[in-house]
Amino acid sequence: MENAGRRAGLYTSAALKHASLVALALLAVFPLYWMIVTSLKPETEVFTSSLIPLHLTLDNYVHAWNAIPMGRMLTNSMVVAVIQTAAQLITSIFAAYAFTRWEFRGSSFIFGLIALTWLVPFQVIMIPNYVAISGFGWRDHLAGLIVPNIASAFAVLQLYNAFKSYPKTLIEAARLDGASDMGLLWRTIMPNLKAPVASIGILLFITSWNDYFWPLLVTTKLENTTIQKGLQMFISSDGNMWGALMAATTIASLPVLLIYLMLQRQIIDSFVKGGLK
Amino acid sequence: MAYKKIAAATLVSLSLLATACGNAGTGSNANTNAGTNSANAAGAGNAASNDQVTLKFYSYNLAIASQVPGTEKLIKEFEDAHPNIKIDAVPVASTDINAKVQADIVAGSAPDIAQLTFDGLDFAVNNFNAKPLEDIVPADELQSNFEGFSQNGMKLGQLNGKTYGLPFTFSTPVLFYNSKIFQDAGLDPAAPPATWEQVKEYGLQIAEKTGLTGAHVGGAAGGDWIIQALIGSNGGQALSEDRKTIKFGEPEAAGAIQMWQDLIKSGANSKLNDGEAIEAFSQGKVGMLLFTSALQSSFVAASQAGGWELKTAKMPAFGDKPTTPVNSGSALFILTDDKAKQQAAWEFLKFVTSERGYTIITSEIGYLPLRPSIVDDPKYLKDWVEANPLVKPNLEQLDSLQPWVSYPGANWKQIETILNDSVSKAIVSDGDVATIMQDAQKRAQALIQ
Amino acid sequence: MSYEAVGMPRHAAGAKPKSKERKPFLLRLGRIKPYIYLLPALVSIGYWIYKPLLQTFQLSIYQWNLLPTSPKQFVGLKNFNQLFSLPEMGIALWNTLIYTLGVIPFSLIIPLVIAIATDNIGRKASNIYRALIFLPMIMAPVAVSSVWRWIMHPTNGILNKALTDWFHLSEPIRFFTDEHWAIWSITFITGWKLLGFSTLIFSAAMTGINKEYIEAAKIDRAGSFQIIWHVLLPLLSPTILFMLMMSTLFASEWSFSYINVLTQGGPFNTTTNIYYLLWTYGFQSFNIGASSAAAAVFFLGFGVLAWLFMRLTRKLSFFDN
Repeated sequence: MENAGRRAGLYTSAALKHASLVALALLAVFPLYWMIVTSLKPETEVFTSSLIPLHLTLDNYVHAWNAIPMGRMLTNSMVVAVIQTAAQLITSIFAAYAFTRWEFRGSSFIFGLIALTWLVPFQVIMIPNYVAISGFGWRDHLAGLIVPNIASAFAVLQLYNAFKSYPKTLIEAARLDGASDMGLLWRTIMPNLKAPVASIGILLFITSWNDYFWPLLVTTKLENTTIQKGLQMFISSDGNMWGALMAATTIASLPVLLIYLMLQRQIIDSFVKGGLK
Repeated sequence: MAYKKIAAATLVSLSLLATACGNAGTGSNANTNAGTNSANAAGAGNAASNDQVTLKFYSYNLAIASQVPGTEKLIKEFEDAHPNIKIDAVPVASTDINAKVQADIVAGSAPDIAQLTFDGLDFAVNNFNAKPLEDIVPADELQSNFEGFSQNGMKLGQLNGKTYGLPFTFSTPVLFYNSKIFQDAGLDPAAPPATWEQVKEYGLQIAEKTGLTGAHVGGAAGGDWIIQALIGSNGGQALSEDRKTIKFGEPEAAGAIQMWQDLIKSGANSKLNDGEAIEAFSQGKVGMLLFTSALQSSFVAASQAGGWELKTAKMPAFGDKPTTPVNSGSALFILTDDKAKQQAAWEFLKFVTSERGYTIITSEIGYLPLRPSIVDDPKYLKDWVEANPLVKPNLEQLDSLQPWVSYPGANWKQIETILNDSVSKAIVSDGDVATIMQDAQKRAQALIQ
Repeated sequence: MSYEAVGMPRHAAGAKPKSKERKPFLLRLGRIKPYIYLLPALVSIGYWIYKPLLQTFQLSIYQWNLLPTSPKQFVGLKNFNQLFSLPEMGIALWNTLIYTLGVIPFSLIIPLVIAIATDNIGRKASNIYRALIFLPMIMAPVAVSSVWRWIMHPTNGILNKALTDWFHLSEPIRFFTDEHWAIWSITFITGWKLLGFSTLIFSAAMTGINKEYIEAAKIDRAGSFQIIWHVLLPLLSPTILFMLMMSTLFASEWSFSYINVLTQGGPFNTTTNIYYLLWTYGFQSFNIGASSAAAAVFFLGFGVLAWLFMRLTRKLSFFDN
């Protein structure tokens, strides 16, 4: 009697738990679902509220692809994101290695300097950086997008945590075997830290892919900019072509969504560990 | 030491990689940019020796999807006729374009030609170093070229007696209305409202009979040209003749805004913002819309698709006072310091404001022909105007056109924003319009240096 | 930024001294080795973050419009004196407060409730939920703006259609153009993007809690409310503080993209916040002095806030010992 009641209670509480999570999941996923559905609807259907497209069409994708230089902007975004991620990984692997491998004067201070940059918002430093990029003649060059971001404080801190977890005794052992500092880093430590480095890399890639302000400031022509800024320009020039706009939005989100589809476990874990910004 | 070498090599290759990619990514534009940078002596030398000139041109028509094909055609015809001049056209939204030019001058990559709106004339002359046509073109050539050009229009690009901006794309505030909604509301589509009184009356009738939105007056946000047109039509001014005193807080000005507030309060005018109103009008959900005539081509397309008839009328009047339609629109400014480029730019300006240029501008982009005679010329626009009678109110308003006044000094944009914001706020609130406008005037006056 | 990472590097005690056989110049070289490894990151951060930061402070005492044709004019502290008399500043500060408080339900309250309520859910199910609710976090802000702009469109958006059907609204809600709604719409979108992430942060914190505390409390016959209040919340307090700090420091920065794409600060300034104001001063009206002065003030202000939060976090994190 008492048991049965308790079990019923457990069931209702489990049902409630699931209900709240399902609601949350719906709230999170519906906008993306609606984006994809709208992008697949023919013009006559876009303004209807039907939750599934009745006649699938790719017309919107064709329109969006022709309206703005999508291929070019996707390539730009990809080039920027890949190079930037690689550069950030390399600079922060070296930095993290320095912090974990040696004790040296000012290490806490330097670490603090790097860590503190998370307090500096983009808007506070945008004017001098804009002037600097202009001085180099890097406006409308991908170099202008990449070079200011070749180091990432976030990556340094995350990799520092990963390096710290690598046993010191193993480093000592390798050193006694005569490994050079570089050899130690690339042949002893790195092979064991592939997983955290990869997930930090993915995070950096997503951040770079999604970045919008810096391209907004330093690029003018659609051919030279990234997909995020291109999308924003599409919104302001052709804002009422909802089908095409949703198609463009879907294309712009696709690479990140695909990566997420394949690696969501790692991405979520490293976000939860690594936090924001 | 190995690590040192590797570290150095990595650094170097990293920066090389970044630069290389920057260049690769820019591709064919790398040359263009070198040529475009007027400060770049080598670029200027190249341009002269090869006789090949590339002009960087900022255009907001290219940032409006419906105007892109016409603008591209204009540029292509020019390039075909001038094989040694290449136009490197960059789309920039009209609301951003003045700021963008300034940001690019900072960056040393100013455009050679910029399409700027008239409210920024003063600032362009004093800060962008715009070149007056009189300094580039011999007087007689200038004069002969502008025979037949609207003198009213020509004046708009002049400051201190020189022509800094060549008027390019012009539109006036036109009352678009939906013939079908008029009929459904029991109104006569052949008798559009001529006064604001009637707009209110008709608007209320539409709202009552059809449940749709009666009217929408655009232009409260994003530039003050329609506000200036309303203020002027009620006998007021935005700025005094001597360009020293802000006048938009005076009773005539406030009276014009009061009318606007009444329209909205009464329910004759929607509370939609302009973007929403344009979209709703396109979908046949708004009876009347006062806005730029540049929207005509896209409304025609929308009405044909939606199965209703679009009609146009002149801007309504305040009682029997004369209306003062103010032009929205832009002029072309030559910003380059390079002599060869200035000449090439002049060729471009000449072409786009030629009879052929305005034929394309009017029929395919949707702005006024500033060479009015081409309207009756069968070689140019005669057939088109007959086929598109909707453009007539717009053409008629060209005679009574008033210039869009630009505010003096570096704070011109802030002054304009103050006016836009105050009007936007006043018309949707119950507040006392006179107080709001006086306050705006006071704040704006403080910004005039 | 994670709260674990804020700490300074702590070296294992007894790090080995350098080998004795090495020659003196190598020893010296050995001493600069770590700096060489740090160089790329330091140069980049120094050049692209700290140098411009100092320049911003410097620009704040000049009047300048960025143009090479107009000179930089030294004005001393005038920009600072004028800062708070600017009419937009009051609105921007007030809106910043609204964004900050408005985001807290999404970054703190709802996630906390859900995380506590759904602890111990089946592993398989939990993985699916995690994957779904986390999705908004990886979306680009521009894409998010684009999608919500469509959903919340006044006449054609599905949200207004649904609301009209359900509640028979007399006229559609203009989410981004009605001055009473716009700021809340932006706040909602900012919060929506964070919601899943924050929930997962709290779930992770819940998983990390030693369940013996709860068992012990149950043995003491504590009710579930008492357990939450006296056991769970104190144990979760570092995470709570962390999320609170993030919301306070960054709500305005997070909402920036949505403001820029969806409202540009309007209707009549009702959605601007301080960062958007810096942006418009900087790149719309080119009032570089005012923009830099405001940037300097807010940077220091937020710095002090962050410092207070970190002190508090350090105090509270002893709870779990």
